[in-house]
Amino acid sequence: MKILVTGAGGFLGRYVVRCLLARGHSVRALVRPASPAPNWGSRVDVRCGDLRSEVDLPSLFDGIDGVMHLASATSGNEDTQFASSVVATERLLDAMTRSSVKRLIHISSLVVYDWSKAAGYMDENTPLLADPSGMGAYTIAKVWQERLVQDVAKKAALELTIARPGFIWGRNHVNIAAMGRRLGRSFLMFGPLTRLPLTHVYNCADCLVAMLENRNSIGRIYNIVDSDDVRVWRYVREYARRTHQSGALIPLPYRAGYWTARLASRISRTLFGAKGKLPSILTPTRFESQFKPLRYRTELLSETLGWTPPKPLDQCLNDSYSTEREDEDVAQPVSLT
Amino acid sequence: MSLSKGIIIGCGAIAREHLAAVESIDSTTIVAVCDLSPTKAQATAERFGVSTWSTDFKRLIAEHAPDLVHITTPPTAHASIAEYCLAEGMNVLCEKPIVTDYRDFEKLRLLAQSRKRYLLENQNLRYHSSVRRIQQFISDGHLGDVVDVQIQLFLNLYGPGNPFSDDNTPHFSHALKGGPIGDFLPHIAYLSQMFAGRITDLHTLWSTRQSGSTLPADEFRALMRGTHATATAEFSGSIQPNGFWLRVLGTRMSIEADLFNPPRISIRKLRPGEPALMSVFDGVAEARDIFRGSIAGLGRKLGGTSSYDGLKESLKHVYDCLREAEDQPITLEEIDRTTKLVDRFTEVGLST
Repeated sequence: MKILVTGAGGFLGRYVVRCLLARGHSVRALVRPASPAPNWGSRVDVRCGDLRSEVDLPSLFDGIDGVMHLASATSGNEDTQFASSVVATERLLDAMTRSSVKRLIHISSLVVYDWSKAAGYMDENTPLLADPSGMGAYTIAKVWQERLVQDVAKKAALELTIARPGFIWGRNHVNIAAMGRRLGRSFLMFGPLTRLPLTHVYNCADCLVAMLENRNSIGRIYNIVDSDDVRVWRYVREYARRTHQSGALIPLPYRAGYWTARLASRISRTLFGAKGKLPSILTPTRFESQFKPLRYRTELLSETLGWTPPKPLDQCLNDSYSTEREDEDVAQPVSLT
Repeated sequence: MSLSKGIIIGCGAIAREHLAAVESIDSTTIVAVCDLSPTKAQATAERFGVSTWSTDFKRLIAEHAPDLVHITTPPTAHASIAEYCLAEGMNVLCEKPIVTDYRDFEKLRLLAQSRKRYLLENQNLRYHSSVRRIQQFISDGHLGDVVDVQIQLFLNLYGPGNPFSDDNTPHFSHALKGGPIGDFLPHIAYLSQMFAGRITDLHTLWSTRQSGSTLPADEFRALMRGTHATATAEFSGSIQPNGFWLRVLGTRMSIEADLFNPPRISIRKLRPGEPALMSVFDGVAEARDIFRGSIAGLGRKLGGTSSYDGLKESLKHVYDCLREAEDQPITLEEIDRTTKLVDRFTEVGLST
């Protein structure tokens, strides 16, 4: 197949492109003008452009069999992230629906769920956030981006698969929000025994390509989590050990943090009403979305796609903290187990 | 009292500030929002409980016949939208800068006068709580004669995630003369003239400090002579931390306002007595002013008060004037002087 990958120059995009190539597909990679395109060789047709402003979007779809839509912003203010994720997607889908291409894998996120409504575990049936406006810029953008994709896919009869990865980690991306907060040289962990919804970037890319190749995935939504065996304490300890951080690791009970946030929220409401503003760590819904102790079900991936993560945790850890060249890490062919 | 209706065209960050401000004004409501992006318009409408959204502002105007149209699009679109609205008999409030070329303003002004409609630029700092306090000191005679006005605006224009220097898609302000600095020139222009009077003599200096910058300039200095006083203005895209300072220096008192952190102001005034002792009193008074202002500022932030101080008061004044069928609160002459001065700022020393 020939696959259009948006956001191909990003952290996940580079792995997805390599994984597609390793599986014998050809790729048209859309990279942003300011992102240096990796040296992919002649099997990748690199197009340079930004979905927010690129004029010639229709030509992106010439000869394409499917689209892997990864383009999204992870930093910047609310307007920047909304434009880069939502408005960009609007323009991409507008061009796509005018083409003959139907197959779309959209990369969403676990942030679209209403974490306050997840009781004990999270799976694809967990309720979605109804009103994201009180959340951070990334969440607002991802919620609206997914709503848009679902809406357009329904109207245009696209063959849509939605992937909602957990925390994607890997080399140079080992800091994740669920680790806690730095306090000087120390690290505060809210719920050291909380399980982390991690997916290593190598495994995540492998999973996305597996979805693309398997038509069972059409019309489905998948959460991507390698396994929920890794707990905050272990992840942070590995991080501290492998990056030679000498500060103290301070475990705090999740409930202590959560009820502090609830109390702060109550005081804010009493003093300032609904307009009161608190830092995200003191906003209960935002605290929950980062630290809530849950289990993560991944049966759907194994039952419908037969997918399990190809790279085990220890190897992911070694690769993520390795100082060897990245190419050696990602150029190997990946096979489904 | 009848309900005043507004519509908002352009759903970016400043539109959200308008919506939040109007929410807290009695007898006023935003009935529809518009944006080129349907999802952005829908998201904005849902967030603020606005019943109608569209990508077609002409349809919204025809359907709702609003009392006021808020134009909060990027500045390059202001003139054409404002022209259409005025021609349709609408009152118009544009975000700053109202136009990107003074000649466009001349056309709009004639149209507004012939149609007897408001044509306003949002000059919310005229209503900023600290600016109002300074005006009060002047009108009460405490400050004496204004001798000099100093405006300093420091805003980081670079760095990861900074929209002003996004190399992937240029920020809308790149279309302005002066680039991102051009977006702030109206504030500098009207604040200077509020306190120094009409500017009769002007010297400017534009430069680019950051090597490899794609911006037309990232530093700006202006030295002005007004009919009442002199004024200086500085914009720096590199000085950190960010800050927005207004100093009004008079024959009896000097006041410094931190416009990014209202109500923080500090006052220095003539005190009779032993100079060495008085300098201690001055220090204590200044520390007290800053401490009180900082605590009050923290309270404002925790209380969710808009960082656009003065916007709510500004919009309320506009809607009140509309209801009472009064003249527009900021005159066309004042907006003309602001727009003309912005044009003059960019006439010399700016490479294009």
